[in-house]
Amino acid sequence: MTLPVDTILVLVILTGFLILGTVRLHTAIRLCAIQGVAIGLLPVAAAGEGTSLRVVLLGLFIIALKGVAFPRLLRRAIRESATSGEMQPYVGSTASIVVGILALIAAFWIDSRLSFLPDTHSLVAPVAFFTIIVGLFLIVARKLAITQVIGYLILENGIYVFGLAIALEVPVIVELGVLLDMFVAVFVMGIAIFRINREFNHMDSDQLRNLKG
Amino acid sequence: MNPGWILPLVLLLPALLAGAALVAPTRRAALRLVAWGTLLCAAAAVAAASLALHRSGELTSLGAWLMVDALSAYHLLVMAAVFTLSGAYAHGYFREDAESGEMSLPTARRFAALWFSSMASMHLVLVSNNLGLMWVGIEATTLVTAFLICIHGTPTSLEAMWKYLLMCSVGVALAFMGTLLVAASTHGSGVEGASALLWTELRDAATRLDPKLLKIGFLFLVVGYGTKAGLAPMHNWLPDAHSQAPAPVSAIFSGFLLNAALYCILRTLPLVEALPGNAGWGREILVAFGLISVLVAAVFIIAQHDVKRLLAYSSVEHLGIVALGVGLGGLGHVAALFHILNNSVSKSVGFFCAGSIGHLAGTHDMRRINRVTALSRVWGVGLTGSLLAIIGAAPFALFLSEFLILYAAIQQGHTFIAAIFLAGLALVFVGALRHLISITWEPLTEPVETHRGTLLEHALVFVPLTALLVLGVWVPAPFWSLLERAARVLGGAS
Amino acid sequence: MNALRFLPLVSGLVLAPFLLGVVNRVKASFAGRTGQPLLQAYFDLAKLLRKGAVYSRTTTWVFRAGPVVGLAAVLTALMLLPAGRHAPAAWSFTGDLFLLAYCLGLVRFLTVLAALDTGSAFEGMGASREVQFSALAEPALLVSLAALARLTGGLGLTDITAGLDAASWEAAGPALALVALALGVVFLAENSRIPVDDPNTHLELTMIHEVMILDHSGPDLAFILYGAALKFWILGALIVNVGISWIGGPAAVSLPAFFAGMLLVAVGVGVVESVMARFRLLKVPRMLWVGVALSVLAFTLVGRFTA
Repeated sequence: MTLPVDTILVLVILTGFLILGTVRLHTAIRLCAIQGVAIGLLPVAAAGEGTSLRVVLLGLFIIALKGVAFPRLLRRAIRESATSGEMQPYVGSTASIVVGILALIAAFWIDSRLSFLPDTHSLVAPVAFFTIIVGLFLIVARKLAITQVIGYLILENGIYVFGLAIALEVPVIVELGVLLDMFVAVFVMGIAIFRINREFNHMDSDQLRNLKG
Repeated sequence: MNPGWILPLVLLLPALLAGAALVAPTRRAALRLVAWGTLLCAAAAVAAASLALHRSGELTSLGAWLMVDALSAYHLLVMAAVFTLSGAYAHGYFREDAESGEMSLPTARRFAALWFSSMASMHLVLVSNNLGLMWVGIEATTLVTAFLICIHGTPTSLEAMWKYLLMCSVGVALAFMGTLLVAASTHGSGVEGASALLWTELRDAATRLDPKLLKIGFLFLVVGYGTKAGLAPMHNWLPDAHSQAPAPVSAIFSGFLLNAALYCILRTLPLVEALPGNAGWGREILVAFGLISVLVAAVFIIAQHDVKRLLAYSSVEHLGIVALGVGLGGLGHVAALFHILNNSVSKSVGFFCAGSIGHLAGTHDMRRINRVTALSRVWGVGLTGSLLAIIGAAPFALFLSEFLILYAAIQQGHTFIAAIFLAGLALVFVGALRHLISITWEPLTEPVETHRGTLLEHALVFVPLTALLVLGVWVPAPFWSLLERAARVLGGAS
Repeated sequence: MNALRFLPLVSGLVLAPFLLGVVNRVKASFAGRTGQPLLQAYFDLAKLLRKGAVYSRTTTWVFRAGPVVGLAAVLTALMLLPAGRHAPAAWSFTGDLFLLAYCLGLVRFLTVLAALDTGSAFEGMGASREVQFSALAEPALLVSLAALARLTGGLGLTDITAGLDAASWEAAGPALALVALALGVVFLAENSRIPVDDPNTHLELTMIHEVMILDHSGPDLAFILYGAALKFWILGALIVNVGISWIGGPAAVSLPAFFAGMLLVAVGVGVVESVMARFRLLKVPRMLWVGVALSVLAFTLVGRFTA
């Protein structure tokens, strides 16, 4: 059962690195979508032989959401705003990759220090930590509001993987509530970007700094 | 008949009203719906709370997914008070905008719908017994209230909204991780499957939970929900959101939204405290966050000139005081719960008055507002009174609850904590009093027309302030026993 | 077994320039040209060896020693190289992977020294770039090899190659794939291929490797070109050794697989060079950092898989 899971997890890490390394918004969105699909496949791959209908449906739902709906929403946000299509980072992409390497090491270190997780697959937790760190880093290190949304998505991906790591039986309704909330969150952020864009004629969160003190 | 049926009703009622608000025929109808509908929902919440309080245990419903015990009943009552006041105030606040055509019908509808949705989601937080559902409720409040901030759509309000949305979403995402960890801590404790997130189950199995997972989970929850509750140093979004939102929205933000997030932390505290050999671990964390919040807020209050931002930082301070009181335990629990009510009521009134004064004076800059009582008798006196209450002047109830927390600290031998706490309070007192004196007693530079308040406006200001005065000198015995019952849920009875 | 012992060395010595011919042929056919003969590299070498060398008056013995010692270092590295599981290297000992890495480092060091020795600003610029990029490529190479060593428990190239089999792919497939990718990045950077450097330019200010050898001529240039071909062979063989390790069977299977793999690498390089443009110089470090990231990731993963 481990080989497909490992491959997916490595794919998640790779997309994380590439998102750190890219400067183009469209590439970042595509990578984010790939990561979303990988995350959606993860529970199905982990279940292996014992795949239940619920797991498959959940996977399909996540893929539809993260692989199709979110990227479409983000692309629309880009199209409707006069952005150059570049990420405009505070921290350059090469430095970001270095940060990614450090994050990877930190993630494995945290995992080895905690070692609290009950008999689950050994890679899942560090991948989750890595993805969470990458998400948080993207939120603080990129200027555009839309890249912060991408960072938020990555963060959510990480937390989702983490949820799988501790392999618990979350009731379906809570799971759906969580997914729905996430969907609405991204949707709301999308609307927020439209409105900010309309008002400021750009979506540079760097300019959103009139409020101080 | 099982009285548990009222719990789904408490959730359903505001949700239905939100739907109704979307089809309100006129602007006035939408605003009137806000006032009366809020009253209706508050009545339902009060009914649920009193039903729960009349039983010895908890009131549960829907297979123990919904639950109201003394702690949540108390929060429901506070919330009902804050929302009733704010709903009535919102009606008057937006009426001028609506009549002058500044507020369009879709905006009014949207405002009313979001108002009731935020009420529904906060009710969900309070009545859910499932930690996951509680999380859903908190996340929902973020999403719903984000647009309440920028109902006017000014650039600064959009900025505040973005900051709020992003910071709180990230914070709440971390809280979700904490929730997962708490659920994971049930491995091998006998709590299995779907009930792994039910608070009552967790409480009963608390001594068998995995301590390491639960503690890490608690840390995540404190940081995550603490962001939403405005505990320093995660408070950056708070002053912006509170100052840019319309006054009624600021009132529910400061009056209850922060408390709803803090409530989630309070829920998990007894679980951590019940771990064998870990008594005091979780409370120490809360003490630390509480003290940091008080000090940070004090520093910013001194340098503040915007009256709404002043109130916002004061919320950081008071939430810090609540966290501190809860962290101290014992008498501190009771005092902290008492403080929740005092802060919510006084802060709501404060925002009402600040909003209306700002309307009349055309600015929120305290350096340019003088002699508020001349601008408007009702709002001016209200602002002065509520600011006095907020900075903890005797004999307002805030003085009493702060004094009790201080007393709890000294009683337990935490002299150092008491000293820091007192220093923070003194800084806030002096810093805010300086502004208060200037806006109340500085002579006017030019004569103004005095605004004459309506009867409702008088009631909105003076009923809560009188209540605070009364509570400051005399706490009714049933109320005190309610506080003690709620404190017992937190794990400490005095 | 003994008969196969010198096969990797001999085949490398003989076939290395042939691979360059393959690359050129692939590129030519992509461009719709007939292209040079496959053996063009051999003709070039023969021609250069017959000629005399010209030395600038500003150069010292360092300039002359560069190509000779460089070739010697590459030859040493080639001796350490196995070809598939059944053809061990001519010379192997514990820890020889470090010798391999540092032989390659020595080649670069001498090329850079020789380039600096000319005193030309142009060559100095190339030297600076070469050093910058190799500072990133070298950790990627070493960490990749370390990951393989960690996986197989062997510290010699021959041991590692013998230790990799289908079972290790099953246990640590993603890690091995990452190692192959990281080695690929190193391969492109060290051999100055597109997208890192363009081996065909001689005039642009952006080139790296070619600019450093502008002043060499005659046999010296032949040594350098032959050394470059061998380096291509060595780094390619590292990738191929990882890539073909899932194929089981006796030497009769693994040896053809190895040579087919080398051919594939050459074709692959040709395709990449035909369809891609050279990166902006600023983008190259980013790609190399990705290579480092891949190797670090592979290394940590191997730790997980073998634990």
